Amino acid sequence: MTAIAEQAPRAKSVQHRQAMPALLLLPALVWIAVFFLLPLVLMCWRSLAAESYSFKAYWIVFSSPLYTKVMLTTLESASIATVLALLLAYPMAYTLTITSGILRGLLLMLVFIPYWVDIIVRTFSWLILLGDHGLINVLLRKLGIVHGSLPLLYSEFAVLVGMVQILLPLTIVVLFGAMLRIDRTLIAAAKIHGASGWNAFRTVFFPLSLPGVYGAALLVFVLSLGFYVTPALLGSPRQTMIAQTIMVEASELLDWGQASAAGLLLLIMTTLIAAIYNRYFSLDRLWGGSDA
Amino acid sequence: MDRSADTASGAQVRLRNLCKTYGQTAAVDDVSLDVPAGAFVSLLGPSGSGKTTTLNLIAGFLTPDRGDILIDNRSVADVPPHKRNIGMVFQSYSLFPHMTVAENVGFPLRMRSKLTRADAQKRIAEMLALVQLSHLSARYPRQLSGGQQQRVAMARALVSRPRLLLMDEPLGALDKKLREQMQTEIRRIHRSVGTTVVYVTHDQSEALTMSDLIVVMHRARIAQIGPPNALYETPASAFVADFIGDSNLIEATIMGVVGDRWTVKAGNGALIHTAPPAFAASVGDRVFLLIRPEDMTVRPSTSEPQASREQGEHIVGVLKERSFHGDVFKLGVALGSEMLKARVAREDGAAFEVGQSIALTWKNGAARLLPATGDDDGSGRSAAT
Amino acid sequence: MNPTADRIVLGAAATAIVAYLIFPVIVVLAISFSAGNFLEFPPPGLSLRWYRAIAGDPEWVSAFMVTLKVGSLTALLATLLGVPAAFALVRYVVPAKALLSALILCALVTPPIVTAISTYLFFVPLGLNNSIVGLACAHAVSGMPFVVINTAASLRSADRNLERAAIIHGAHPLWAIIRITLPIISPGIIIGAILAFVHSAHELLIAMFVLGGVGKPVTVKIWSDVQATSDPTIAAASAILIGLAILTFVSVSTAQALARRRNG
Repeated sequence: MTAIAEQAPRAKSVQHRQAMPALLLLPALVWIAVFFLLPLVLMCWRSLAAESYSFKAYWIVFSSPLYTKVMLTTLESASIATVLALLLAYPMAYTLTITSGILRGLLLMLVFIPYWVDIIVRTFSWLILLGDHGLINVLLRKLGIVHGSLPLLYSEFAVLVGMVQILLPLTIVVLFGAMLRIDRTLIAAAKIHGASGWNAFRTVFFPLSLPGVYGAALLVFVLSLGFYVTPALLGSPRQTMIAQTIMVEASELLDWGQASAAGLLLLIMTTLIAAIYNRYFSLDRLWGGSDA
Repeated sequence: MDRSADTASGAQVRLRNLCKTYGQTAAVDDVSLDVPAGAFVSLLGPSGSGKTTTLNLIAGFLTPDRGDILIDNRSVADVPPHKRNIGMVFQSYSLFPHMTVAENVGFPLRMRSKLTRADAQKRIAEMLALVQLSHLSARYPRQLSGGQQQRVAMARALVSRPRLLLMDEPLGALDKKLREQMQTEIRRIHRSVGTTVVYVTHDQSEALTMSDLIVVMHRARIAQIGPPNALYETPASAFVADFIGDSNLIEATIMGVVGDRWTVKAGNGALIHTAPPAFAASVGDRVFLLIRPEDMTVRPSTSEPQASREQGEHIVGVLKERSFHGDVFKLGVALGSEMLKARVAREDGAAFEVGQSIALTWKNGAARLLPATGDDDGSGRSAAT
Repeated sequence: MNPTADRIVLGAAATAIVAYLIFPVIVVLAISFSAGNFLEFPPPGLSLRWYRAIAGDPEWVSAFMVTLKVGSLTALLATLLGVPAAFALVRYVVPAKALLSALILCALVTPPIVTAISTYLFFVPLGLNNSIVGLACAHAVSGMPFVVINTAASLRSADRNLERAAIIHGAHPLWAIIRITLPIISPGIIIGAILAFVHSAHELLIAMFVLGGVGKPVTVKIWSDVQATSDPTIAAASAILIGLAILTFVSVSTAQALARRRNG
């Protein structure tokens, strides 16, 4: 038996294997860095530079009553919209779980189709439905429930109706994905040991679905914070959300520094929420990350 | 089936101190192996033993952290898998679904060799005839049964006359009857073609049936290498004895040596004589006593089991279990705190009843002593120190 | 509650929710065929006049062309960037995996208005504003996750041994990936690309800043028209976009079914 060299022949192929993943990821990472991160950094710089390197723009965001009001409205609308979306999405996702084959495919398609209609138009249709001469009021009048018309539009109600409709498909899909991972035989085990359908759901399925609920809640809440079109079309000035204010600063007042500052603060807020959340409930699971 | 002159049949394969680690766990730990040219070698072991990792190292899909692999005396460390000239059969067959059987079988020829179209067709036809599937050459994989797909996979692996064929639990997905048929098929093809085969399996009876040489692997290391009968009759450790064939492993202590006759005391006090052990041992050592169920004759005992009476090559115990297995009855005989396995022919089984006193006898030399070292060498069992 | 009652309640709830989801789509579709002049539902009659109006209006036609160009370029970029990234994430143990996950998360949680403003300001010195390429580059960032996620899912469930079988029998690894693995995972890639396209076609805020003037895409035109006019043209424009979405969905499902049949 001859002594065999151990290390030398290996070096080349090992190096090659280690370089590969970096090479594959590089284009994507570079692209994101250039077209996403870099602009954000520049925006940050601009918000400071605008007022000769001071935090004035940021201070305005914190102290002005306008911003405070808008921020509170935003948080409030986003929270309510999230809760409503979850309440409606859960039974829908559950129904998807217990159906199969053609019916499930059909339901999925029905859930997905609105997602592929753009936000403006989906919001816009509520303008038609909720107006004084819209379908809802016409029906209510015909049924004799009201005599004039309900001021449904330009209200918190209208904004929420619009927001939830837009958020629902995503919420349903995320919840559905989480529910699919629940082992159905656990329900069967509960039932065979005496649990009624409702009890099996309450004590076994629901608790197991909670991580999915939290994940969906976070995603939906963060998305709601950034809504622009829906409050702009369906809400009154009292329902103004932060994205609208920033838009005004940028495109009408041309105060890019102020807009940048407010935008960055909004970004920090959403990132913080997501980061805190990610620490407790790994969001990687949403796209099948390593710890699925 | 001829072995043409241009097929040098089988490659000689040598593994030298192979190591492969994932994080903290060693998947393959210092594995060295010499595979003779043309031999049918099985890598046998439970899941996690390192056998599939070793196969993937030979194939080149994994790079060893240390050690080397030599095929026909040349290191393949820097040779990528598609240049190693190996054939491989996978458990999931892995036939290309969008190609016909003939196109699947011809794939390696298209990739590797310089055969003319006509020669390639001839070779494909030869291979299909070898696996007896000539009539299915125009079908698609999804139209074939599992056994047929596996045969196509073999034809594909052998078409470019590789000197080494790797097989990764190829029969795992088939039912028992089909598996046995395919085992015979594979042996026939191997004898006919003469290539070296490295075959991974967790099924010990499969390894025993098919191999020239078995490499038993356990926890990333080689437990023992040898031809099937050697592993069966002279296992080197409790793990190998337990893994291959049925076995009784009785904990015992060495009491004394008189010439060639060693005496050990089993757990319940019974004294038993054996041949000398194949490893270094002395009086007072704890060992395992190995007796195979089929080596024992069973008859009802007329006497009560008694401890500390010199019993020679037989033991008396109490029958605790009796179960019917078609061709035999399997008996569980209690000896102190241990349960021994024994067998009786179908027609004799009815005579035994639970609770009965049973005498088990065996021929001189049928019992072996095995080391009782710590867990890392043997099965989950170790003689308590 | 007995099981049948459970199912009835659940079924009723599901139906109501589906109605809530679908109704606006139906409304828009119905109005787009309206014979009347105003946005009323139900429409007084049916007619194709608004579709004809769009087809005959060079501004609308140009808007659709822009949306198509930007969307296609976005889908292409997202695919070129995302597919290799998916391979890296699935096939290798990469410490940067956490980094990429974080980046995807960032892309998801960044409010569109922030991306819009930052991108616009970034493009000014580069001269990328008012260009289709510029907008596509920006859209590719948020389109990429769609491709990565769907490709990775396909890749994970594909049988890796097919690729290995090709390689061990002589195929160069790159050849094996391109000719064996890519066709198998193509449904995932295509879905991701389509989602990236649709995402780009619907995006408003970045488009408003980067390409909001001459040569604006459909979404920006709809937005400005919504506030100005009140005739069913915008309904027709949206209906065309919807039709595009349904068409893609159907063709993808068909392609998937065909692929599944072919691959056994």
